[in-house]
Amino acid sequence: MNRQLRALLRLFAVQGTWNYERMLGVGMGYAAEPLLEDLKAVDPVRHGEAVVRSAEFFNCNPNLAGLALGATTRAEYEAVPGAQIVRLRTALCSPLGSMGDQLFWAGLVPALLGVALVAVVLGAGWWAILGFLLTYNAIRLWTAYWSLRLGIASGMRVGAAISSSWLPRAIEWAGPAAGLALGAAVPVVAGWYLRDFEWAAMVGIAGVTVAGFALTRWFGPGLTSVRFAIVAMVALLLFRRIGL
Amino acid sequence: MTEFSPAIVIPLVLWGTLVGLDLVSVPQAMISRPLVAGTVAGALAGDVETGLRIGVLFELFALDVLPVGAVRYPDYGPATVSAVALGLGTPWELGLGISTALGLVFALLGGWSLQVVRRSNARAIQRHAAALAAGESSAIRWLQYGAILRDAARGFILTLAGLVVASTIAESVRLDRPTAVALTLVAIGSALAAGVNGAVRGSGRGTRLKWLLAGVSAGVLITVLT
Repeated sequence: MNRQLRALLRLFAVQGTWNYERMLGVGMGYAAEPLLEDLKAVDPVRHGEAVVRSAEFFNCNPNLAGLALGATTRAEYEAVPGAQIVRLRTALCSPLGSMGDQLFWAGLVPALLGVALVAVVLGAGWWAILGFLLTYNAIRLWTAYWSLRLGIASGMRVGAAISSSWLPRAIEWAGPAAGLALGAAVPVVAGWYLRDFEWAAMVGIAGVTVAGFALTRWFGPGLTSVRFAIVAMVALLLFRRIGL
Repeated sequence: MTEFSPAIVIPLVLWGTLVGLDLVSVPQAMISRPLVAGTVAGALAGDVETGLRIGVLFELFALDVLPVGAVRYPDYGPATVSAVALGLGTPWELGLGISTALGLVFALLGGWSLQVVRRSNARAIQRHAAALAAGESSAIRWLQYGAILRDAARGFILTLAGLVVASTIAESVRLDRPTAVALTLVAIGSALAAGVNGAVRGSGRGTRLKWLLAGVSAGVLITVLT
């Protein structure tokens, strides 16, 4: 199998060894292994050093990890001093984390889920689920492929390559798309659950929603929405038990 | 309530294990999203409607989570599978509340179990520190496989435990109709609060907030027209 393809496939498990010391480090080392194989024959000492560097501390959004992987691998083949490669790796952590999180976790995922939720309520059923999975994974696969290719192509100049790419513009669109989709999804889902209940029950649900929203914002992050829900349910069961 | 036969439990445990792995380790294909995990769990057990109802509700809770950096969050995947198992064969107005209660407790347990796995990964790395410092690729490979195996075991145990508790609740807990409905109402209200929280926090202020309000207007219109 092509070495780049093996590295690409391994990138989908880049968080496999996630921990609080090296974070994605070991996963990056695992993904880098096929790309560094040729270096072993050319310069075994350099290969050993490159393997050590590849598994050191690293953290970013997993979907953009290919940019760092490709760039540092190319730098290893170009015999860039090790300290400079470590600096590049460290420098890429924050921007790749921030851009990836904004694009995927705060943009694409909620946007697609918002659309899927509306579609489920409108009766799309399985098609909504399938559409969500196919769209998300197609974008993600393409992004991973693009990231790795761009990283390998640009090496130490990866920062400039990223800033002139489509990525910053996509991030600008992802947030508003998520807001629009989630904004539509919440009332549609609420209507789906509420339409089988009488007015008194709807008022009760509205009360819990307002209380939950206000309390979790006021006391958060100590009082998360999950904790609020559990406390509210336990309180309800206690009230019912004592006959209220 | 549906009987917890091996024909239902085995596929659900396998699905829960995959879903648990997907959250962080591999392949992050979003099958761990409650909407997907719940619907597929419902289909595996022959009750898609329950899977959808519970999956959508847990998705609202999950939208309140932004999994950035090293933040700690609940694991809704295996929890949703357990919740669906408890809700099988029950009218959703009666089963949704208690299923949600079970699922949320297991979501918190799932979040805690993630920390256990992460600490365990760190210990494994410390044990192999010399091999890593020597640049042994095989050490990196084995650390990776070991960590993925630990996460799979986490998903397996979590789902199995969730199904055992769901089975116990299904056999021993009998709620009267008003209590079951009230529990469902609280679950829906709490989930909507979480969904609103996630949407508002993600939108912040300025332009994004305008898009959120535009979305809310569209959503209200769709609700009125359908």
